[in-house]
Formats: sequence, C-alpha cells, structure tokens
Amino acid sequence: MWPGTQDWGSWLTSVSVSAHPEADEKASTNPVLQAQGLVREYGSVIAVDEIDLSLARGEFLTIFGPNGAGKTSLLALLAGALRPSRGQVWLRGEPLDFGEVEWRRRIGVLSHQSFLYGHLSAEENLRFYGQLFGLSDVDNVVRDKLQHLGLQERAASLVRDLSHGMRQRLALARALLHDPDIVLLDEPYTGLDPSAALVLQGVLSDLRDGRRTVVMVTHNLSEGVALATTVAIMNRGRFVWQGKRAELGDDFGQFYHSVIEGHG
Amino acid sequence: MSSKKILLTGTVLAMIGLIWLGAVYWMSFFWVSTEVTQGIAQRIMYVHVPAAWTSFLAFGLAALFSAVYLWLRDERLDRAAVSAAEGGMVFATIMLTTGPLWGKIAWGTYWTWEPRLTLTLLLWFIFLGYFLVRSSTENPEKGKRHAAVVAIVGALDIPFIHLSVIWFRSLHPEPVVIKAEGPTLPGDMLTTLLMSLGAFTVLFLGLFLLRYSLENLRSELDTRSRHASV
Amino acid sequence: MRNYLKQIGTILWKDLLVEFRTRERLITMGAFVVLVAILFNYATDWVRVSPEDIASGLIWMTIMFAGLLGVGRTFHLEAENGAFQGILLSPVPKDAIFLAKALANFVFLYIVALLVVAVFMFFFGLEVGSNFGMLTIVIGLGVLAFVALGTLFTAVSTGTRMGDTLLPVLIFPLLAPVVIYGTTATSQFLAGRPVTEAEGSIRMLAAFVLMAFFLGWWLFRFVVED
Repeated sequence: MWPGTQDWGSWLTSVSVSAHPEADEKASTNPVLQAQGLVREYGSVIAVDEIDLSLARGEFLTIFGPNGAGKTSLLALLAGALRPSRGQVWLRGEPLDFGEVEWRRRIGVLSHQSFLYGHLSAEENLRFYGQLFGLSDVDNVVRDKLQHLGLQERAASLVRDLSHGMRQRLALARALLHDPDIVLLDEPYTGLDPSAALVLQGVLSDLRDGRRTVVMVTHNLSEGVALATTVAIMNRGRFVWQGKRAELGDDFGQFYHSVIEGHG
Repeated sequence: MSSKKILLTGTVLAMIGLIWLGAVYWMSFFWVSTEVTQGIAQRIMYVHVPAAWTSFLAFGLAALFSAVYLWLRDERLDRAAVSAAEGGMVFATIMLTTGPLWGKIAWGTYWTWEPRLTLTLLLWFIFLGYFLVRSSTENPEKGKRHAAVVAIVGALDIPFIHLSVIWFRSLHPEPVVIKAEGPTLPGDMLTTLLMSLGAFTVLFLGLFLLRYSLENLRSELDTRSRHASV
Repeated sequence: MRNYLKQIGTILWKDLLVEFRTRERLITMGAFVVLVAILFNYATDWVRVSPEDIASGLIWMTIMFAGLLGVGRTFHLEAENGAFQGILLSPVPKDAIFLAKALANFVFLYIVALLVVAVFMFFFGLEVGSNFGMLTIVIGLGVLAFVALGTLFTAVSTGTRMGDTLLPVLIFPLLAPVVIYGTTATSQFLAGRPVTEAEGSIRMLAAFVLMAFFLGWWLFRFVVED
C-alpha cells in the first residue's frame, strides 16, 4: 500500500484507479442506487408514496405510468434535486447528503427542461457544464460528445436556433458529459422525430455497458421495454408493478393497460 | 413542555402582565411626578419606551429561533419565531403610534427623525417583510425557511441601522431636542419606567406563549385535516 | 479552494457572456438612469437648491432604483430552460453560486453606477476633481452591499406571489446604513473635502459589505434548496 520503493506518482494513480468504479469488483454486486420508504408530499398532495427500489450496477430501470403518477418527482428525488418528505435515497450505500456536493459528479440528469442557455452556442453550453463538473481536457470531451450525438455540425449555433430534436440531443450530451455512472432520464423521447429518436436509441443502448445504472421515465412502451433490464409501472405515487424484463410477455402494451386499469 | 402547560403558563403570565400593567398605569397617572418642560404628555414615555424595548427583544428572539430552525429543522422553532415576530410587530406598532402622538402634543410636530423612532420604523418594515415572505411564498415550507432568512439578516443589520441613524443625527442636529428624560432621570420616573419595562416584558412573554400554543393547535389541525382527506 | 474559485469564475463568466450578448439589462438600466436624471431635473426647484446640495442623495437613490431593476433579473436568465436546476445539480457548492451571481450583479450595477455619476455630472455640472478615485471606491462599496443583499433576497422574492415587487420592501430597510454612510462620504468628496473626513463612513461601509456578503454566502443555500 505505502510507496516504499514505488514512486509517489504511481502510488497515487494506483490508489485513484482502485477507487474508480470500473476496477471495483466488489461494488458490482452491491446496490448502486437504492430507495426505501420514499415519500414526497406537496402540502396535502402525496406525489411519491412509499417507493422502494434497489438497482445494481449495469441495470436499466424503465418506469412507465400515466401523467401525474409522480414519475418526475421520483426522478427528482433520486437525482438529489428534491428532499424527500420521508424515506431515504442511497448512493453506493451512502445516504444522500445534501450538505455535500461531490456525489453529484456521479449523477447525470436529463429533465423535462433542457438546462441550456439559449444565447450560448451548443459548444459553449457544454463547455460551461464541463467546467462546472471540473472535467480535465474539457475541449476534447465536448468535441467528442457533440460528435457522439451527431451535433458537431451545429457546435457553434446558438441553442435558441436549434430545432427541438437537436436541443434534446444537446441536453442529453450535457447529462452524459461528465461520464456519470448513474443516469436519470425523464421522457427523453418527447417531441423527437424518427431520425432523432433513432440517434437517441443508439446512445441509450450504449449506456447499457454494464458499468452504468440508468433510470428512465418514458411513455414510449416499445422502446422503453426494449432497453430495460427491470421495469416498473407507477400510478398515484406507487409502484403498482415492478419486476424483471424477463417476466414480461410479448405484448407489453396490453399488460400495461390492464395493470393501470386494474389499479385505476 | 406539554401544550397544556404552555397554554397555562401563557395565560398566567399574560394575566400577571396585565395586572402589572394596570399598576403601572396607576403609577404613571397618579404617582409619578410631572416633567417640567413637557407637562402631562411626557407620561406617554412609560408606554412608548418599554414598547420599543419589547419589540426589539421580540425580534431578537424571532431571529434566534429562526437561526436554530434552519439548523435543526424542528417545526416548533418556526412556530416560536412567528409567535415572537407577531408580538414584536404589535409592540413596534404601539411605539410608532405613541411616538408621533407624544411629538404632536409636546412639541407640535408628528414626526422628527429621532434615531429610536426611525430605527423602530425600519424594524417594523423588516417584520412586515418577514410576514409577507412567510405567507406569500408559493411553497409554504420554503416560505418558512425564507422568512427565517429574513429574520436573521434583519437582526444582524439592526446594529448597523442603529449606529448609522444615530450618527446621521449627530451630523444633522434637529432644533427640537427630543430627550424624553433630562440628562438624568429622576428617581420616581426611573422606577415607573422600570416597572413598565417589567410589565411589558411579562405581558409579551405571556402573549408569546399563547400565540405559540395557538400555532401548535393550528398545525395539529392542519395535519389532521390532511390525513382525513386522504 | 482553487476548484472553488474556478467554479465561481465559470458561472461569473457565463453570466457576463450571456449579458453582453443580449445587452438587455445594460441598455434598459442605462436608459433608466438617463431618464430618471431628466425627470429629477424637472422635479427640482432649482431656485431653492443647488445641484451640490442634493446630488449625492439623488445619485445614490438612482443607483438603488436601477439596482432593483437589474438584480431582479439575476435568475430570469436561468429560468428560461430551467438552467438553474442544472447548476444546482452540479457539484458546485451553493455558496459559490451565490458569490458568482453577486459578483455578476456587481459588474453590471457598478457600470451603471458610474454611468449615474457621469450623467449627473453632465446634466448638473458637478465637479469631482481629485477625489474621483475615492468616489468610485465609495460607490463601489455601496454597490457591493446592494448586490449582496439583492442577490440573496431576489431568490426569496422570486418564490413569492408578489415576485420582484417584494424586493424593495425586503432590502430597503436593510440598506439604510449604506445610504447614510454612502451619501455622506459622497457629498464630502463632491465638495472636495479631504479623504480623512470620510474615513469613518468608508470603514462602516466596508464592515457592512463584509457582513452582507457573509450573510449571503451562509444563507443562500437555505433559500435555494429543494
């Protein structure tokens, strides 16, 4: 452990490498993202009502549910954007500490809103967030991400001049810029035309690399199930069905509607 | 302390305070000597000055409760803060109404930019800000926190305001010297003033506890109605 | 620490960049200043007072009103696409966000404040002479105090039903000492008095600025959480 005959440089890098999730074998069996008894109230409205979940590394959870089911609030709780009224969220076994900021590096969020600045270019937006996240070699990372999402042509265009589909892709680029190991996506398919949806599908499939844990909320039944390793159906703040993708039959659409009607 | 105890203590203190205040009124009207230059009107001082003192005490308490509330997040601290603030605003209003009355009767002008009066007026507006923020924030939970911030900033600003208005006065002396007392306060006036101070403080504490138990009941009602509607 | 400063710098630079691209705030605040000076001219009985008598006060009040316009916009820029949420979800401490926002507001308001002085000098023939340096420092301190409290309380007032109209109610009582010490020192400098006479005011102003920034740095996190 101690340097001894090794030089400090390689000792430091070996320490930091073993702290990196990829090399940590033990962590792959322990849950990466957990919630227990999660409740969020807004006055008398209970948006999230006793949610429990536990995700291991590499899992992809897709959450389906009607509007007003509380999916967005749940995602916000998992992202540490909201404090729970009751219950707890754990990140790698540690409860979320709102007094700390470092754990936010591991989470990437794609929300309903793009988090982008209209008067800055695509590149400037990414560079801004790259610097906030303390990325080294920001310029290269930004360039790669723009390329990855097919936006390199419009790098210098102001965001207000981009189409909705491109803005959505840029927002996703922003969410993934700092290589987070937990990715939270809130209805990423909304308003995308077929070609943009295809790009999105490709990017999301890449996220299933065994290293990352993803939670996605979507109305898109077919795509959502195709990407998932586990599925949950949410209604009125609760998970009315939760299980592995393998448990589902062929016609998810029918299954989904029967579940919702059953609990309607 | 159980809620029954608080209610009881509050009622008792308020009663004592009122009786004490009655005694003070008697003293100010019948016992204490009349001041030479201002005549009878000067007796307003026995209400005016303690009211000011009490409002500042109240605000200090509100700010203290607010700070601890932000730290511990115990709802009771917020309820204590708002109870203290309400009492404080009432006493500040008393000070601000008796002041101009006194000024008009004794010296012919309603308002002089007397440091104490100005300070209390600004304090009154800080109270106002506290209540406006607490009641008009879209998210009530946030509103409590934001109001706590208002109270804390206000409390730390008050010393600056105090120093600056006194300093301003020294640069711009008014022709009328509003000295409630002379260079030294004669014995019986001092006694009456201190008695009044005591009465006001006890009365405030009683009202504070009563208001606090009311706030407790309100939130209890709130919680129950919320669970009933589910 | 270096990281902290870098994060502040990043947000500050972004604010300045966006602002200078749109120029909205600067133009409206600048126009406001000139128009207010014009109205003040017509609102004043120049038979009874000379410019030197009231210039200091008018300058400071104009800066305060312009400040209200400007500081209220602090978070509007972020509200457009929810970008502020993006910053809150990043590993930037809330107090760093406060410092960045306050400093950005300082840049804009200070430019406008210097414009106010220039406009009043132009319209009312005021002379400043050798004390111009000290004058800019006093005004700088006043603006710092304003943006510290303004940035903190804009975040509060934005969450209320009254919105930005609540902001002056919240910060004007608190800024009374700033106006008192600031205008006193400014009149002294405009009258060509030696710097030593204004030392007390400047020291109090500086103390106030430190307190205001400390409070904003400490309390901002409680305002933006959730």
